[in-house]
Amino acid sequence: MSALSSHLLEEIKALPAKYPQPRSAVMPALDLAQEELGHLTPEAMSEVAVALQLDPGYVEGVATFYTLFHLEPVGKHRFYVCTNLSCMLRGAEDVVDRLKAAIGVREPGEVSKDGLFSYEEVECLGACEYAPVVRLDHRYEVDLTRGKIDSLVNDRRLVRSHVKTGVRSSLDTTPEPPRKKPVRRTKKSG
Amino acid sequence: MPDVKMVNVTIDGHVVTVPDGTLVVEAAKLVGIEIPVFCYHHKLDPVGACRMCLVEISPGPPVAQAGCIRPVADGMVVKTQSAMAVQARADILEFELVNHPLDCPVCDKGGECPLQDFTFRHGYPTSRIDGPRLHFQKPIPLSPNIALDRERCVLCYRCTRYYDEVAWEQELTVAERGVHSVIASQFDQPLTSNFSGNIIDLCPVGALTSRLWRFESRPWDLHHTPSVCSKCAVGCNVTLWQRRGQLVRVTSRENDDIDEGWICDRGRFDYTDVNDPARLRVPAVHGSKTTWAVALNTVADGIKGKGSKLGISLPQDLTNEEAFLFRRLLDGPLRGAKVKMHGRTALPAPSGEQLMIKDIDDARVIIIVASDTENDVPIVNLRVKKAVSKRGAKLIVIHPDAVDLDRHRETVHIRNQPGEAAAEVRKLADHELLHEPGGPVAILYGDGRGSEDAAGLVAACTELAAKVGAKLMPLYRGTNERGSLELGVAGWDSLDGVEALLSWGPPPTAGVPASVKFHAVWDHLPRPEHQNASVVLPATSFAERQGSYTNLEGRVQFLRPAVDAEAPLKESWDVLCELAAALGLPLDYVGIFPIQREAAKAFPALAALAQPPSPEPEPVPVLMGPARP
Amino acid sequence: MAEQRGTVGGPVLTEWFGRANLHKLEVYEKLGGYEGLRKVVTGMSAAQVIDEVKASGLRGRGGADFPTATKWSFVPKDHPGPKYIVVNADESEPGSAKDRYLMENSPHALIEGAAIATFAIGGHQAWIYIRGEYDLPYEKLRDAIAEAHAKGHLGDHPFGTDYPLDIRLYRGHGAYICGEETALLESLEGKRAQPRSRPPFPAIKGAWGQPTAVNNVETLSTVPWIIRHGGAEYAKRGTEKAKGTRMVTVSGDVQKPGNYEIEIGVTYRHIIEELAGGPFPGRKVKVFWPGGSSAKVLPGSMLDTSTDLDGLKALGTMGGSGGIIVMDDSHCVVKGAARLLRFYAHESCGKCTPCRVGSNWAVRTYERILANEGSQIELALLDRVQQGLQGGRCLCGLGDAAGWVIQSTMNHFRNEYEEHCLHHTCSVEGALIHA
Repeated sequence: MSALSSHLLEEIKALPAKYPQPRSAVMPALDLAQEELGHLTPEAMSEVAVALQLDPGYVEGVATFYTLFHLEPVGKHRFYVCTNLSCMLRGAEDVVDRLKAAIGVREPGEVSKDGLFSYEEVECLGACEYAPVVRLDHRYEVDLTRGKIDSLVNDRRLVRSHVKTGVRSSLDTTPEPPRKKPVRRTKKSG
Repeated sequence: MPDVKMVNVTIDGHVVTVPDGTLVVEAAKLVGIEIPVFCYHHKLDPVGACRMCLVEISPGPPVAQAGCIRPVADGMVVKTQSAMAVQARADILEFELVNHPLDCPVCDKGGECPLQDFTFRHGYPTSRIDGPRLHFQKPIPLSPNIALDRERCVLCYRCTRYYDEVAWEQELTVAERGVHSVIASQFDQPLTSNFSGNIIDLCPVGALTSRLWRFESRPWDLHHTPSVCSKCAVGCNVTLWQRRGQLVRVTSRENDDIDEGWICDRGRFDYTDVNDPARLRVPAVHGSKTTWAVALNTVADGIKGKGSKLGISLPQDLTNEEAFLFRRLLDGPLRGAKVKMHGRTALPAPSGEQLMIKDIDDARVIIIVASDTENDVPIVNLRVKKAVSKRGAKLIVIHPDAVDLDRHRETVHIRNQPGEAAAEVRKLADHELLHEPGGPVAILYGDGRGSEDAAGLVAACTELAAKVGAKLMPLYRGTNERGSLELGVAGWDSLDGVEALLSWGPPPTAGVPASVKFHAVWDHLPRPEHQNASVVLPATSFAERQGSYTNLEGRVQFLRPAVDAEAPLKESWDVLCELAAALGLPLDYVGIFPIQREAAKAFPALAALAQPPSPEPEPVPVLMGPARP
Repeated sequence: MAEQRGTVGGPVLTEWFGRANLHKLEVYEKLGGYEGLRKVVTGMSAAQVIDEVKASGLRGRGGADFPTATKWSFVPKDHPGPKYIVVNADESEPGSAKDRYLMENSPHALIEGAAIATFAIGGHQAWIYIRGEYDLPYEKLRDAIAEAHAKGHLGDHPFGTDYPLDIRLYRGHGAYICGEETALLESLEGKRAQPRSRPPFPAIKGAWGQPTAVNNVETLSTVPWIIRHGGAEYAKRGTEKAKGTRMVTVSGDVQKPGNYEIEIGVTYRHIIEELAGGPFPGRKVKVFWPGGSSAKVLPGSMLDTSTDLDGLKALGTMGGSGGIIVMDDSHCVVKGAARLLRFYAHESCGKCTPCRVGSNWAVRTYERILANEGSQIELALLDRVQQGLQGGRCLCGLGDAAGWVIQSTMNHFRNEYEEHCLHHTCSVEGALIHA
């Protein structure tokens, strides 16, 4: 049983031909894998490596270098909160505090109990004139206020209650499966 | 060779003339100035990562510059001792030590550690390092043989670059980023490469250490002996390290003609048998300890006059001197005996001009036939990789199975049916890569580990070589297979049906034939096969032996004993002489040198034996003195 | 973010900004877009293109300020294999958002500029390396490239000629260091983005080992205008040595943060107080970063400094990537510097020792200072670390930039550092928030 679907692996195998040299396909391939699984497991990275005729170690080295690749489980909706200087001057710390309370987590990378949310503090998102800024579901949310954070979170909770997403619901009473401990190395700043 | 422009460079006042493009660090070496480096290694592509080699260069911007990535230019003036350079290097060393655990007292590298030496010579005299350091789990077993201590690591990337550039593998990589960057094996799985051990030699600090040697002894308590590896026919140069009669470490000893400083894991880690407490040290007859004289007379009685009913199993790492004496026995009292050498190929002695290992560098097309070079001739395999990835040679492999060299995407791998390699070789003459190779062509051939008809394959390769103007290299597997062949000890006979067996070295691979009635063993370790042996003679291991090997390209190299063969152990030439006497053939030598001189006279291929070279080159004096800020 | 905040209708880059659907080929072309590319492929030689751009005096707007035409001329003309233009759209410098703004609003200008540049170096293929977080600009560029192909402006026969031109996108995945051109090339090749040692320079051995010129988004977006109006026309703008206009992003403590096109040579006072509305009422500008977080800070007293690039260099700072971060007197410089050091440490690729270790050492020192555990030792340490990060110690500029943050803030605001380290108070922000 492979971690990645067979049609995705086919898609990955076709990637190297698009570039002057096949190694360039590593990141697009990891992107596809992450899109399918939410985060990159060692199995997924190994399968990407085999599909691209590389050593798994090479793929692991690349995946751990870039911050947009997740090696640990993440929420369905991920908040990338900019806390760099321009956003900090305009209240990014408040944004983080409010967000933590709104989604009910204590630290970056932690997934909310319902599996819907996680957040990360990231470096400059390049939208400094709109500070404070967060990237959420492939969109920038700008000029953040506490109210705006609340509605971003609540909107997604609402959608969740209408659509069966396959993610655990907060009303689900079956016990939560034990959270896997990170194998090693977690990303952190500085 | 195109004419290389020579340029003049001034380094600390010394003018040196070097080829254009030479790196500053290399030019400095020529005038005896050592610019300290961590990441730079003369066998790896320069990266300029560690910044240890900062010097002042003019003309140029008024900042320190890395000497390891800067090629010289005519008129360049390099100052390694200016205030700017001295302070820059001290800065780097301070940074290196910020997170370093400073556990030098218990570090295996202590005493031969560039980080220690450079800190002593170039570092700030006082420490301003404060506060907690970064901590990692330690040590991490990278493999059964190698331990990784991430706290000591200075991230010079020599190990990962070596893996990628030289071994063509990425099972060891850098993970994470910035200050959290770590050297890691892929998904924390053990390293499996046959070339992994070289990273220990490459590591400029104590981050990568041998688990076999870990905490065994301090480097300065060791005696070292320059010698030759006895594990295969390549003949890599090694240093054997001995302490209190134990062989505790094997490291590479760079010889650019052969190994370029790399050895395989078999050569590096396969030595603990030398120190095995169970080593055989006393001769025994029917299980009872006895004297050499009694034991050898018993052997002589058992094997004398048996003709073709006598079988002799030989070890592959038989020295030339041993083979020379043994040949005398075969020509005399043991005439007609069946001789079988362990682990050898079926390849005949080479004829005509041969390809040397260093010639592979310049080949434009390399053809490898019927050999799994990774395991058969590991360091030749690395030389081929270098020619392909660093010098752009094209590679054609003829082998039935997937091989390590397939890692290069442009490798042309022709998968033959076993036994059909010769047919594929014949087809090659029209191969597009051989139409205009643009330079020398190299053909390296094995025997497919017995699956190919050696004579047919050699004929096909010789024919192809003539057509395309290539040079040939037979890939022998047995350590001294070529030397033995040249001395007339082939060892291709079958031992089936023999009644007496002299088993020298490891037992015959096919087992002791059922027909054997008298079984004499000459080995360094006890084994189950010795159970019914009439006589067991203790043998020296490679670490106690002296003599010479002829490697697969015909080069004669000297094996030097790192550990004394203490009585009752006897050196093998001595044992052979006494056995000869017991068989009625007086061989009277007072030591190994007369044997070497006689062999040199008798066999032109062994002429080098007449004058053993000085074991170690003269050290180059270092001009650059301590330069602390 | 279709809204265009802060545009002043400058004459070059933002010439057509404000027109509805400028990102559509139809609109862009009706205004005169793709005239430059047409002119180039149908009637000019590569050398003529380079000469025209040389006449404009255009210099790279990614931060290095290197003459664009000269960069193109370094690409060998007789190289037998492919040659590439690589567009650096990995804008990640804190305080800089102008490339995003340009790509979102006028993607075709970048595409046209990249195509012209590709022609100028005698290549056929351009790659746009865009940072992974830029979703909208990516979509805009992707759609625009498709439009240009469909219209026949790109492809095998642009404008009916036989000079194939193609542009492709490559997404980054989160690494500031990819803004450094050789790290970007490593990343484009599917590797860990660590800067390469030079030589060889990208012009000789760049992407996939082929000659390559790496240009910034703004630089290339300027090129079509230069071709349309002539280099001499462009050179009329700006100062004597630093020609033309450029984009700046103003962020932080100002009333109207935004992206503005300015003529090079105006003062920072003009940008911050007039264009960006100045500080909030009752506040005054304490310090500003004149060109992204990597430029050495200038105190509020130097607001009258000109944006002239050479003038800034003479002051020891730089126009950099045009990100102007303004901090008013309600914010603590030490805390701001600490945040930036955290950034540099996080984004250090880990290749060179000083940057990898030094930036992290600085972060730990700042943490102690902000936790009221500072002393004379910490002051001395910061001074020590910033020196060790500069002066050629590192392979690329990231380490130097980290050092400049410490050095320049300490230089101008030593009093705030001393307050923190020696007296464990902060008169600016009062109660300390732990970093």
